[in-house]
Amino acid sequence: MSEPESSVSSPRPLGGVGLGLRWDFLEEVVDGPELPIDFFEVSPENYMRRGGYYPEQLERLQGRYPLVTHGLTLSIGAVDEPDTDYLRELRTEIQRTKSPFHSDHLCFSSAGQRSLHELLPLQQSRENLRRVADRARRMSDILGVPFALENITYYVHPGRAELPELDFLEGVLEASGAGLLLDVNNVYVNSLNHGFDPRAFIAALDLRRVVEIHVAGHSRRASGLVLDTHGAPVADPVLELLGFTLERSGPCPVLLERDNDVPELAELVREVHALRQIYDTSQRKYHAAGD
Amino acid sequence: MQQAIESVFAELVLGPPRSRRDLLALCQKHGVDADDTAALAESYERLSVYRELTRGNLREALQLSIPRSIARLGALFDEYFDRFLVEQAPRSHYLRDVTPELLMFCAPLWEKDPRVASYLHDLALHESLHIEVSALPSLPRGHVPAALSLKQGVDLSLALRLVPYRHAVHELAADEADRSVPTERAVSLLVYRSPEHEVRYLELTPLARGIVERLLLGDSLGNAVQGAASAAGSALSEAVLGGAAKLLADLAERGVVRGPRGSVENAQDVQNAKNAQEAPANRPPS
Repeated sequence: MSEPESSVSSPRPLGGVGLGLRWDFLEEVVDGPELPIDFFEVSPENYMRRGGYYPEQLERLQGRYPLVTHGLTLSIGAVDEPDTDYLRELRTEIQRTKSPFHSDHLCFSSAGQRSLHELLPLQQSRENLRRVADRARRMSDILGVPFALENITYYVHPGRAELPELDFLEGVLEASGAGLLLDVNNVYVNSLNHGFDPRAFIAALDLRRVVEIHVAGHSRRASGLVLDTHGAPVADPVLELLGFTLERSGPCPVLLERDNDVPELAELVREVHALRQIYDTSQRKYHAAGD
Repeated sequence: MQQAIESVFAELVLGPPRSRRDLLALCQKHGVDADDTAALAESYERLSVYRELTRGNLREALQLSIPRSIARLGALFDEYFDRFLVEQAPRSHYLRDVTPELLMFCAPLWEKDPRVASYLHDLALHESLHIEVSALPSLPRGHVPAALSLKQGVDLSLALRLVPYRHAVHELAADEADRSVPTERAVSLLVYRSPEHEVRYLELTPLARGIVERLLLGDSLGNAVQGAASAAGSALSEAVLGGAAKLLADLAERGVVRGPRGSVENAQDVQNAKNAQEAPANRPPS
């Protein structure tokens, strides 16, 4: 497989395997020995518009590892325009962390003035595609760095879907020029909950747009519904799907997310190591296919 | 249609549990068309997951912030949590703001509710201030203190809150299982963040509170001491002046007093920090 020639803006200034930064192990990362972790991803909302210990630690961390910001509350799909104060503060935080790009979720998380603090699914409609794409197109200028959207886990499609998820996602990215933060675990979880082939989904994506890949753990309920919990090690089928993706995408930063039941840092480092092995193997295959 | 979907989801996740029939009524109320309503109704069981997740996120943030108040309120907490979500709802982007938003909503209601202990709001505020003060914006470091002057104001740390309680809730044990009742007495508590980022507490006398209050409002040191003494019904005696000097020395030792007004080097940083502090409800994270 050869390196695709692309006119799509797809900045990949990061490489290797990173870890989502959590306060559970912040001090250990800042003060401990250098870890075999290529970058850390931070939720800017945890550091914005505040002083004290955590922003100071983040500043110290920045001297040791590259950071990339991944937001939670942009609510790009809501009817109301994103909050301008929030965007201004976000831009400042992105500058402070020197993040090479910023990402958030293809979803809505607010309803008018109400902040719902959850990633809620957008109806896959042409109207939503146009509105989100228009905003995503403007986001790079507003934030001062390239912007990417993450495919979310959805348990319900809200109403009729005018478009399949793939067309909706690709349509937004195509019309906006935004990058894709491809969450492989989300694709897998959605495939279980909605009954589709995750490999076919990923193979059909324009992987030139991918700026980062996320992996995380999930859990299955007694009802059969699979939840994206970020509370367990990455499951084997997701690791296989990651390898499948990387063999096609080429070099692309991979990030391990763990938000619940966070284990000792050493265990996360071991998981990162396992991801790096998958990364290296898949890159050898990617380059061999291109020879 | 997104507008209608947003409204339905907001009511579903923030409101009480809904039956399938309730869902249909909600869709009708917000103008969701028949086909979308039918599709949503088909997913009725799974929709409830979003209610569980949303409320779980908010409840967890509150539990981290005011665990002792929640424990003391017991089932009453859930009643007020439910009311808050339906009647007010979180407004801020920051999960750490949910506690102050909830307390602002509950304060007048708790006041009138005989089932809620009269000290409860003081306790919840006291608990929530720990996270709030730990996150308040800071003044830039590297400031070199200079001697204070009676004619000038005093720059105080921005990472502080001066709060009045009607009960000595700060004296209660930190144990969540503790149910002892705090003494009913007027308390002025200075909650501040030390240079080492520890949140600390200092109970102030009425005179000390008066001085700090006036300094926070921008009075010169001389006017602040004179005004506070007058308000406390004291003459500006040697004892008062000596007490004020001790207070200021203590506050300087604690990193609360930073120097004479305007002595902080980077005025723009100070303004930025103050602007951030004045921004609407923004507090501690999950």
